[in-house]
Amino acid sequence: MTTPALDRQTSLSIFERMLLIRHFEETVIRLYSEGRFASHYHIYIGQEATGSAVLEVLGDKDLICTTHRNHGHIIGRGCDPNRAMAEILGRATGFNGGRSGTLHLCDASRGFLSTSAIVGGCPGLATGAAYGIKVKREPHVSVGFFGDGALEEGLVIESFNIAALWKLPVVYVCENNSSGAIGPQQGGYPTATTATDSFTRLPAAYAIHCLQVDGTDMSAVHKAATEAVERCRSGNGPVFIEAFTKRWPGSSPLWPELATVTDLNEAWEPERISGPHADWVRHHDPLLRAARELLTAGYATRDELMARDKTARARMAAAAEYAVASPMPEPASVGDHVFA
Amino acid sequence: MTSSPQMATVSPFPSLASAEEGLRLLRAMQLIRAFEEQVRNLSAAGVIPGLVHLCAGQEAVAVGVCSLLRADDMIASNHRGHGHCLAKGGDVGRLLAEIMGRRTGYGLGRGGSLHIFDAANGNLGTTGIVGGGIPLATGAALSAKRQARGQVTAAFFGDGALNQGLLFEVMNMAAIWRLPVLFVCENNGFGEFTAIEDVTAGADPLARGQAFGIPSETVDGMDVLAVRMAAQTAIERAREGNGPSFLVCKTYRYGGHHAGDKQDYKDAEEAKAWRLKDPIERLSRLLKESGLASEAAIAALTQEIDREVRAVVDLAKVTPLPADDDFEAHLYA
Amino acid sequence: MPSPHTITYRAAVLEALFGEMRRDGSVILMGEDIGAAGGVFKQTEGLFAEFGSERVIDTPISESGAFGIAVGAAMTGQRPVFEVMFGDFITLIMDQLVNQAAKINYMSAGQFRVPLVVRTAVGVGGNLGPQHSQSLHAWPVHIPGLKVVMPATPADAKGLMAAAIRDDNPVVFFEDRMLYNLREAVPEGVHVVPIGSATVKREGRDVTIIAVSRMVHTALAAADLLAKEDISAEVVDPRSLVPLDVETLVASVKKTSRAIVVDGGYRQYGITGEIAATVAEHAFDWLDAPVLRIGGANVPIPFSKTLEPLVLPDAQRLARDATALVRGQR
Repeated sequence: MTTPALDRQTSLSIFERMLLIRHFEETVIRLYSEGRFASHYHIYIGQEATGSAVLEVLGDKDLICTTHRNHGHIIGRGCDPNRAMAEILGRATGFNGGRSGTLHLCDASRGFLSTSAIVGGCPGLATGAAYGIKVKREPHVSVGFFGDGALEEGLVIESFNIAALWKLPVVYVCENNSSGAIGPQQGGYPTATTATDSFTRLPAAYAIHCLQVDGTDMSAVHKAATEAVERCRSGNGPVFIEAFTKRWPGSSPLWPELATVTDLNEAWEPERISGPHADWVRHHDPLLRAARELLTAGYATRDELMARDKTARARMAAAAEYAVASPMPEPASVGDHVFA
Repeated sequence: MTSSPQMATVSPFPSLASAEEGLRLLRAMQLIRAFEEQVRNLSAAGVIPGLVHLCAGQEAVAVGVCSLLRADDMIASNHRGHGHCLAKGGDVGRLLAEIMGRRTGYGLGRGGSLHIFDAANGNLGTTGIVGGGIPLATGAALSAKRQARGQVTAAFFGDGALNQGLLFEVMNMAAIWRLPVLFVCENNGFGEFTAIEDVTAGADPLARGQAFGIPSETVDGMDVLAVRMAAQTAIERAREGNGPSFLVCKTYRYGGHHAGDKQDYKDAEEAKAWRLKDPIERLSRLLKESGLASEAAIAALTQEIDREVRAVVDLAKVTPLPADDDFEAHLYA
Repeated sequence: MPSPHTITYRAAVLEALFGEMRRDGSVILMGEDIGAAGGVFKQTEGLFAEFGSERVIDTPISESGAFGIAVGAAMTGQRPVFEVMFGDFITLIMDQLVNQAAKINYMSAGQFRVPLVVRTAVGVGGNLGPQHSQSLHAWPVHIPGLKVVMPATPADAKGLMAAAIRDDNPVVFFEDRMLYNLREAVPEGVHVVPIGSATVKREGRDVTIIAVSRMVHTALAAADLLAKEDISAEVVDPRSLVPLDVETLVASVKKTSRAIVVDGGYRQYGITGEIAATVAEHAFDWLDAPVLRIGGANVPIPFSKTLEPLVLPDAQRLARDATALVRGQR
């Protein structure tokens, strides 16, 4: 257990984001199992520390691009869980009026650009956003969150080249959750689909500053993100952060499954951990890890953490209710927003 | 060609087996140089439809690589492809005819300079899509691997293609599947009218191949023997089933991006410096100084090639244009 | 004459793939997650086990590069079947498809052929949203040098896949994933449907409905509804879009004097325009009314359950439009 380098306020703020994300995602899975929405969807459980710590560093005016695995970024950014849940359920009150669903959630008021479900789309958009920032001479940054699969797409590399050349203020956050969607995983690199022995070699070939962190360690991620954002804001060009997490086992490729519901008590009573994902929960769950770190640092007591947990859980239950009670979009609205 | 008692026949150079081979290399480069010169004239005279992209100055790369390839090895080329076509054994007459849009050309005169295909000589085609030939050469390498006859392939592209995502994707696949392909970048310092430094991030293009564990090397592209040496290693690697290689050959084009380009983006001093490294001059000097060839023999070679190319030009000028029937021919197999 | 057995559309395409891969060792598959995983829709199940990684190749998420490699392989002795996971992603291979594959035979004056198949799953349904629901068949049909097929039935799916693989040209094969579980009789053994041949699915007198892919079934259902109104609808399935069997379509329209073209792609500049204009050109003097075009809504396909169903025409709407056409009420 490392001593957290973060102060109490920051730690708790990041933890709060993580908690909200976790309960949101478990609620989404529940709603799917109840038949409240159809579609393929992708869950952020296991990656909360990465998104939350990066988002903690960002300012209100910074811009964000994400991918099909966007729920964590949306909720971690503080976007309204009601409207996020409603969008996933295809309701008129959703962020995208029910048009986009889980794959394309975004909230422009909180700095999200379009969310691409085409692998590789996000880094392109994030780079463009950074270009806009630079042209307007704003002190903001653009962040692109994407997975390791995106690094197989040529578009990403073209973005790296241009971002480096023009010293664009973009932070590329590669969330490497380390196994292919449903294909064979060989363990370690190179793999069956990438010849590189380390993903940072790819941006490094374009002289992009690279950092690698344990994506389940909120302090480490925060530190890396702080450095990255600082570099960008001072005009030193793009930064690439590779954050490693171990893929949550409930993430079957297309339809996630919740074997056990998160129980924060397991952070300090690990003997309670059970179920098919026990090993992952015990060793790789970033939420429980964060809870343990808070306790060790004396930043919170068990009761305080449980109180937060209860609040977050209730918040997401309310979001579910809101979403379920929301109206579906009117058929007459199907053509809205085709053009501006 | 008469040989005198002072002429050596065995070469002291590692990538040159004999005097004869030396003259062959010289001839091949001379042919390209003379051909491009004629094409430039024809273009200026308005005889060639569209644009042509000439490779004078870059001959050593095409000849250096192709002189080591078998007849059944394959290449894919780019928009600056005449040299690759000739170096791979292309017929001068058919090549010129195609460039001039005549019926006897490789594509019935319908493709022109940018779309020259020569299956008999293992040429998968020139193309105006930057990077477009790279996956074709790699696909041919996939075929070669399946067919297990030891064939290798080579993709020629310029420094402009270094920034194509396509190159990145294809290099990755060539590496994971250990395909017998050479990625040969002719780095002449310009992507069209733009200097490489202005558009290419990273200290060294080699890193783009090295990122995939692909053996990568910078080569003096003005020295045909240096190109051969590097190509030899790469070709052997490929034939032995050890996968791709990446060669970045530093070279220079004397002409513009296309014939007629004013070239005001070039630095005059720099251009002069490159001329001093002229690959044909260099090999000629080498052969003479090492006693492998005489001044007279080389001069005779130059004249012979000039005559040959002029004859081809004269013939091409009177070959017919495509007929109406040729319009839709070969739309489908 | 091979005897039929009843199998799903998905299984029918698989039969064609197994058959052709056993018959011809140069047939290889390339795509994402098609190997051990058997495809995201289980559309390649079992092939990896039989043919191994040399012939069933999982590619990285590099559609453009991988397809370009497929083109190069096709030029040099392989016969690749290249899978594009979702029809929407055909945009990612467009340069290699349009500027290379389609033109190489022409540009090389026949020196190089490109005997490959692009196979992709399209179709609205399942609330997959705007980037995972499109059918972009109106793109490749526009390019000289490509052939395009869209089988609507399991038997045609098997027959056209076999034909596509045997064809020495690049063929784009669109399958509607909502048809994957459709079970119909399919001939066993070798079954090849010629590319460029339409089929009359249902004979009728009063109106010709030309429909592709899933819309064929919509049209047949509409025809049942119309029969109750004493309107006899003939349903014709082109099966291939390029080349188009103009003769069969025109013969039908000359018989019925009225035509409706139904398609699941976006209506604007969609294939209904080409087919309608072609029919009008050939059968103008036989027509009693303008040719009616019914296509998908001109909107990005929305995710929500109340909006997604508005995108495609359904049998009721089709029957209503056909009735109005026949009764001269337009």
